[in-house]
Amino acid sequence: MDCLSIAIANKCCQLAYYEAVFNSFQGDQLKIQGYWLASGILGVTASTMLRVLDSGADAVVTKSIGLIQRKGHSGPVLAVSHGGIINAVGLTNPGIDTFEEELKVLRKAKAPVVLSVFADTPEQISTIVERGSKMGPRAIELNLSCPHAEISQIAHSPDLTSKYVSAAKEVTKLPVYAKLTPNASDYVAVGKAAQDAGADAIVAINTVRAMKIDIQQMRPVLGNKVGGLSGPPIFPIAVRCVYDLYNALSIPIIGVGGVSTWQDVIEMHLAGASAIQIGTAVIENLSVFSKIKEGVTAYLKEKGYRDTSEITGLAGGLSQ
Amino acid sequence: MNMESMMGNPQSVKISRVIQETPIIRTLEFHIDTEFTFRPGQFLMVWIPETDEIPMSISLQENSALELTIQPIGDATQKMCSLSVDDWIGIRGPFGSSFDATCESALVIGGGVGMAPLRPLVYTLLKQNVEVVLLMAAKTQTELVFRKEFTKLTSSSFTLEIATDDGSLGFKGLATEAANHLMANHVFDMMYTCGPEPMMAALHKLSLKNKIPLQASLERFMKCGCGLCGTCSMDPTGHLVCVDGPVFTGEQLSKFTDFGKYHRDAVGIKKVF
Repeated sequence: MDCLSIAIANKCCQLAYYEAVFNSFQGDQLKIQGYWLASGILGVTASTMLRVLDSGADAVVTKSIGLIQRKGHSGPVLAVSHGGIINAVGLTNPGIDTFEEELKVLRKAKAPVVLSVFADTPEQISTIVERGSKMGPRAIELNLSCPHAEISQIAHSPDLTSKYVSAAKEVTKLPVYAKLTPNASDYVAVGKAAQDAGADAIVAINTVRAMKIDIQQMRPVLGNKVGGLSGPPIFPIAVRCVYDLYNALSIPIIGVGGVSTWQDVIEMHLAGASAIQIGTAVIENLSVFSKIKEGVTAYLKEKGYRDTSEITGLAGGLSQ
Repeated sequence: MNMESMMGNPQSVKISRVIQETPIIRTLEFHIDTEFTFRPGQFLMVWIPETDEIPMSISLQENSALELTIQPIGDATQKMCSLSVDDWIGIRGPFGSSFDATCESALVIGGGVGMAPLRPLVYTLLKQNVEVVLLMAAKTQTELVFRKEFTKLTSSSFTLEIATDDGSLGFKGLATEAANHLMANHVFDMMYTCGPEPMMAALHKLSLKNKIPLQASLERFMKCGCGLCGTCSMDPTGHLVCVDGPVFTGEQLSKFTDFGKYHRDAVGIKKVF
């Protein structure tokens, strides 16, 4: 072996060593990349969340949890319209203290879990984030925008959003993500407010306010009458929001909304999403995560990229 | 991705007939306008206007007529039992797994209103020339569902057995005890059951002891019916009763730590049976 080869081999060993040290140093830090289960889908029990991770998801976001148990709206909580699903579950959850039992199972399994929480006041957000942070999640997602519950208005206001994000940041060392709504007229201003208040990433978008009326019975289908649309019809709305937010903010964007194929995923990365959440598309099969990853790998290879970080926001914009 | 079909092609139907099965249990009949087929064990999500949407086993199909058999327990089932002819309900489905009817000699055990999904199963089994012993169990004689219908059924391959807790008709005692007696005198190669989960858990033990395969239809709180909400998840495997069930095999049941022990309520809190 000549000197140059030895030098290269040494360098490689060194790099591998640094990488190993870096990874171990990162510990439980959740990287904002890959494909995650979106909040509100299957995120009720540890058992299903572990099954989703086994199916290829890089992380799971729990169903939004509040301080105390909440029954939610009466059924139907789902309706189908124009290729999408309108839901009005109404933040059904057992309350953070009961949910700890599920989080314990996930923590024991070292599962990459993001805890989604909601609250009616910034004070309550502090309480739940403080309590939830001790239960082993890798990050906290603030649901500021469920479109069919009382909290829907938070992410319409930059001021309120700022207060909730600050309240969460003050009591936790975990990354805090703010989930925004496309129903706000100026969601970019809301995103800026979240960033200024210390949010570590923006999750965009929540569902789009929608309604389904049964023409035989001549009445709204959903128990709550109005709900939030998810699935393929909202994908272009999500792409626009991610694009706008990416170009206005410096923190990472986690894209979500109607993603169901690897082509959707690529499009959302190009708009500016670092990580992408998948929800409604699991209705077809949990294999959606592995299928998407296969498609992305082939696409990156064909285009000559190593990583999705190299195509994030590549579709252009002001911050390029 | 065809969202309409994955959500069970929702449609609204009018009640065409109400049948009083027992003093409290009723069957609702309605007609569907699309080509509809289902396999015994599958269920519908039923929208009871201004009340709720709940999963219900299909208890019979005859051409375009479908039947649901309901015991009034909660708000939604009580409202369903108060519906009359020409009232609207919404249906979507069928959803879920079904009973595998491949066997030669079957013991079918129904507890109370758990007879609903077993009724079409018995007819399917008989059509396939399977020897069927149907054990119908209830607390008391008046709570036996479809008793007249199956008493009238004359087929050389069919035997009806009855067990009541209070001994008002047939064997006096629990379904498991009656099943134990039947298994001592017959050779079965398949057991099917639906009913209260403690009963099914006891039958599962009996099936393991006697090395006879079992299929059981489970019930869990359900909101979507199609694998989205996660409310009906089983521990620790994460199987969903709505898409992986409601019919599970004995082998699957052996892996569930919650089977026969606890279920989760509407908000996800564990409740012991």
